[in-house]
Amino acid sequence: MVSCGSEPLRNGTRVTESSKTFVPEAAGPLRRDLLSIVARDVDVRYTVYEEPHVSARKAVSRGFKSRRTIEVHAVKNVSFDVHVGEAVGILGSNGSGKSTLLRSIAGLQSLSNGSIKVRGEVGLLGVGAALKPSLSGYRNVILGGLALGMSREQIEDQLDEIVEFSGLSDAMARPMSTYSSGMRARLAFSISTLRVPDVLLVDEALAVGDKEFRARSLERLGEIRAKAGTILMVTHNLSEIRESCRRAIWLDQGTIRMDGLVEDVIAAYESPTGHRPA
Amino acid sequence: MSVETRSRAPELRDVHASSKLGPYLADLWTRRSYIWYVATNELRQRQITSVLGNLWHLLNPALTIGVYYVIFGLVLKTTRGVENFFLFLTVGLFVFQFTQKATIDGAKSIVTNKGLIKAVQFPRALLPISSTVTELLAMAPNFVVLYAVALLSGVTPSVRWLSMIPIIGIQFVFSLGTAMIAARMTTHFIDTIQILPFIFRLILYGSGVIFNVDSYVESGGIAELIFKLNPIYCFITLARWSVMGGEFPATLMVIAIGWSVAMLVGGFLWFRAAEERYARD
Repeated sequence: MVSCGSEPLRNGTRVTESSKTFVPEAAGPLRRDLLSIVARDVDVRYTVYEEPHVSARKAVSRGFKSRRTIEVHAVKNVSFDVHVGEAVGILGSNGSGKSTLLRSIAGLQSLSNGSIKVRGEVGLLGVGAALKPSLSGYRNVILGGLALGMSREQIEDQLDEIVEFSGLSDAMARPMSTYSSGMRARLAFSISTLRVPDVLLVDEALAVGDKEFRARSLERLGEIRAKAGTILMVTHNLSEIRESCRRAIWLDQGTIRMDGLVEDVIAAYESPTGHRPA
Repeated sequence: MSVETRSRAPELRDVHASSKLGPYLADLWTRRSYIWYVATNELRQRQITSVLGNLWHLLNPALTIGVYYVIFGLVLKTTRGVENFFLFLTVGLFVFQFTQKATIDGAKSIVTNKGLIKAVQFPRALLPISSTVTELLAMAPNFVVLYAVALLSGVTPSVRWLSMIPIIGIQFVFSLGTAMIAARMTTHFIDTIQILPFIFRLILYGSGVIFNVDSYVESGGIAELIFKLNPIYCFITLARWSVMGGEFPATLMVIAIGWSVAMLVGGFLWFRAAEERYARD
């Protein structure tokens, strides 16, 4: 089998056996000649402990070696290509490996096998927890921006926009610990979109928040896509995928069950033989 | 921003290939304003809920040496062979506390920043570096108290006092290393945070903070060698020389520099080897 991962790609349109690459027409600046994400034979296994942090007492009483561990094989031999300018929705039931795959692409989850190559900078947009609960929303924005590698001026320039977008004008001076989960999600979303990456990964970011905020977020995602180039989004909300993406990948128990036009994939996903009853 | 800015196409790169040392350090350097921002915010935050506010930055170290002086100077009388015990104790305690606090804060730096780590991709060494710089800044009021004690106890100011800056600089480098080691240790074993204070209590007694090592340990013996090789003892003795004078401890200076370089390089490399693990639960 041809392994694209280790070879230089002469023209990105090559389609291998392992990847049923599908390139839909897109309104954005789609670059059929340029690959944005190349995932080859991606395998992710991780061990979870019975307890995330075992206390000394329990570790001693149980013996350090005999801690009960469970191996999760979250992503199994997944390969696919994404072109610059594409927006791809990833769907699947809980535990199908969607979030793990996204975290792997962001470099936050190590692979047990395979490779993932990405063109440019990757940004993962998730349901961010409060960065520093004791600090105000305003200071959290600056903190997040500085960690992203932005300059203070660049952050200040976008501050008004963020306050307006998140609708938190009064709350910005309050510690983030006093925020409701919806407010926190709105601010976290705003912070993660401070800097537009080349490849944007969206993980259920819109699951929290009211209808109005969700509509605004989708609009913002559209703007980001115009700038970013490539978007991969994970969500349970099929209408969101339908609205934002032309291509969809259906993950089922860690493997790609289907990769194609969004309508086809959703139709199959919702069909009686699929996971979700119609 | 416009679409044109994206027309320069960066290369495809493996997101899991461990990044080279150069780019990693460059990434840290571009984020240096984060370090400063975190440090100043943290210090503001620490006293925000107290009535006396910023005054506590001075009161805290003053009261600490007061308590130690009462117990060790007046009750237990460990003053043997020391002329100005109050100043001797002040220097020892503050120098010791810097590495102690920097290491314990470093141990917490990954665990308490999980939110940021999961939301944003950045070189994780930024976190223990930030907590160590925070402790360095937090030291400033201690030194105000220290030099006040020196002047009040009749020590004449000297140009030699300026040598405190490079001495603390060497200790800062050392503490960066211990903070990074502690940061990674905590991700393997969360109870590290509970254990560290006891380790430092042991170091407190083994570094001559509250007694003069020369008066208790025979010269040329194995005990003296152990003290001399203890980096904290080196920092304390160098700082005491800087404030109180006497013979310059050249050997200790060499040992201190050796320790600092080894600790920073070793600590940094060991911390970075587990870069991917810090984003996990």
